[in-house]
Amino acid sequence: MSSQCSGNQAGNYTGKAPAVWPAKINQIPKEVFGDKDLFEKELENIFYGDCWHVVGHVAEVPNVGDFKTFDLGRVPLLISRGKDGQVRVFYNSCTHRGNQVEVSASGNRKEFECPYHRWLFSLEGALTACPGSKEFAPDFKQENFGLLEVKSAQFLGLILVTMGKNTPPLAEWMGEEVTSTLSALLGGDGRLKLLGYQKVSYNVDWKGYNDNDGYHAPMLHAGFRMLNWQGGKGFQRMAANGNLVFEAELKPAQDNGFLKDPSLIAFKGSDPARGSMIVQLYPTTVMVKHLDMINLRFAIARSEEETEVHYAYFAHEDDDEELLQHRIRQSSNLLGPCGMISMEDAAIFRRIFIGNKTPGVAEFQKGVTSFTELPADLKQNDETGNLGRWEHYRKLMGFKREGGK
Amino acid sequence: MSSSSLLSSQSATNRQDKVSVAVPDRFMWQGCSAMETQWRVERLLSRYVACIDDDNLEAWPSFFTRDACRYEIITRENVERGLPLTLVFCMGQGMLVDRIVSLREANIYPQRWYRHIVSNVVIQAVAEDHLEVHSHYVVLQTRRNGQTSIFSAGKYKDRIVLRAGELKFAEKRVEADTHSIDTLLVSPI
Repeated sequence: MSSQCSGNQAGNYTGKAPAVWPAKINQIPKEVFGDKDLFEKELENIFYGDCWHVVGHVAEVPNVGDFKTFDLGRVPLLISRGKDGQVRVFYNSCTHRGNQVEVSASGNRKEFECPYHRWLFSLEGALTACPGSKEFAPDFKQENFGLLEVKSAQFLGLILVTMGKNTPPLAEWMGEEVTSTLSALLGGDGRLKLLGYQKVSYNVDWKGYNDNDGYHAPMLHAGFRMLNWQGGKGFQRMAANGNLVFEAELKPAQDNGFLKDPSLIAFKGSDPARGSMIVQLYPTTVMVKHLDMINLRFAIARSEEETEVHYAYFAHEDDDEELLQHRIRQSSNLLGPCGMISMEDAAIFRRIFIGNKTPGVAEFQKGVTSFTELPADLKQNDETGNLGRWEHYRKLMGFKREGGK
Repeated sequence: MSSSSLLSSQSATNRQDKVSVAVPDRFMWQGCSAMETQWRVERLLSRYVACIDDDNLEAWPSFFTRDACRYEIITRENVERGLPLTLVFCMGQGMLVDRIVSLREANIYPQRWYRHIVSNVVIQAVAEDHLEVHSHYVVLQTRRNGQTSIFSAGKYKDRIVLRAGELKFAEKRVEADTHSIDTLLVSPI
């Protein structure tokens, strides 16, 4: 069976991901894309396992009573800001019979009410009322039936959760390489102000999304070239657990006649030396700062062929009116599923996804120097930056490489 | 029972009265009767969507005023939450033209057809120099596999003015009920 993934000439396409991968570290069996059974195992090992998952930013729920719902795989979550100002993450499920407590994507409540038997929960999750409780089972104690909290942690307001029992502490899991860039990306102190959402449904699995959102900009996006951005000096660094960081200088764009209104791409609030920053947190989160846009992409792995991505855009609380309006204008035009620079992402990812339903391997080239070790140094545009994530994935899933571990 | 049904029919009448008070059935605007104005507005909307559906996008900016004009597509989700972010936001002819140049020359996407259906065209307000017009739209999308799906449904909120004898959009705001975008939104709505 292993011959099916030993090179691009390889034979039968089965559509089933192999348990043994090719020996070369730069080769990924194409069958990992779109395998339904594999997706179920990924939910178990990765999404419900010992990884941290970004589910939002506290700026999405700025006021007491604000809430947001989100899904981790198929698990419904309820993120709420309590009267004490704390943001908590609960399972969006009544502790009585499991009814979904809140169905709106977001809103503001004084309390959460389950419509099924009128159980009432405070913003902090406590069960405050449950009609008819005198007739409940003898061991029923109201204080034991608060909404179940998911283990969560924050980094400058970024909210992460884990359902795993052995997940390392957040700082250790992210890796120190991430800290400086992520802090700068989040405005230095995380005091962000939500501008709004662009939501898109990608017809690819979460790996197809994760493997491609990030590395590809300079070649794919003619928009960048036409705006005269060939990319300035920068770096790419692998961090622990499949996490990855990019930074690049963006020279203030020069008017090369392509745009009739080049004011759209001006820098007003950011340092061009760190004009472009990308942090990718495993498995699905991509966060970027390009020009004056702060864009956090919250992704939901829906199935083996669907990934839903919420592009959330932010300003900083201290922005003056001019900078705020500039951020809104840039954020409304350049990135995301309608952005002049990157709208083609979803269409290209879909082509990659379909094209990989063929025999053989997806083979990484740019920057490959060893077939057995991950590169110690990455150049800015090396595609080998993705290999750390693939090795991390392989280990989380328990796949071996031919003749190896 | 009878008093409550009387009450509800009264309030329904009141609501209708409100609408007719705002814009009477008969009015004159820029030398045109109400009927003629309605017809001209509907003709503008029909020509506008035909321009997009026929892929005649280079002509799309000409439906807007040459001086300060505004075009935006915003999701109803953001509107109802009071969030300012839009999907597309153009101020001025320059930005309209840039959108079209970008989709022709820079962006990569599979060929697909749009088909707009516009209905329920209501002149909401008549001012001396402009009309406020609301209408409903649906955009059907046909992909290369031949399948047609509903790509976007929502409402146009337009401010229409007369320039050199022709109706133009000074402002066109597309409020899209559909906030989960299927893959990408490249052409204007």
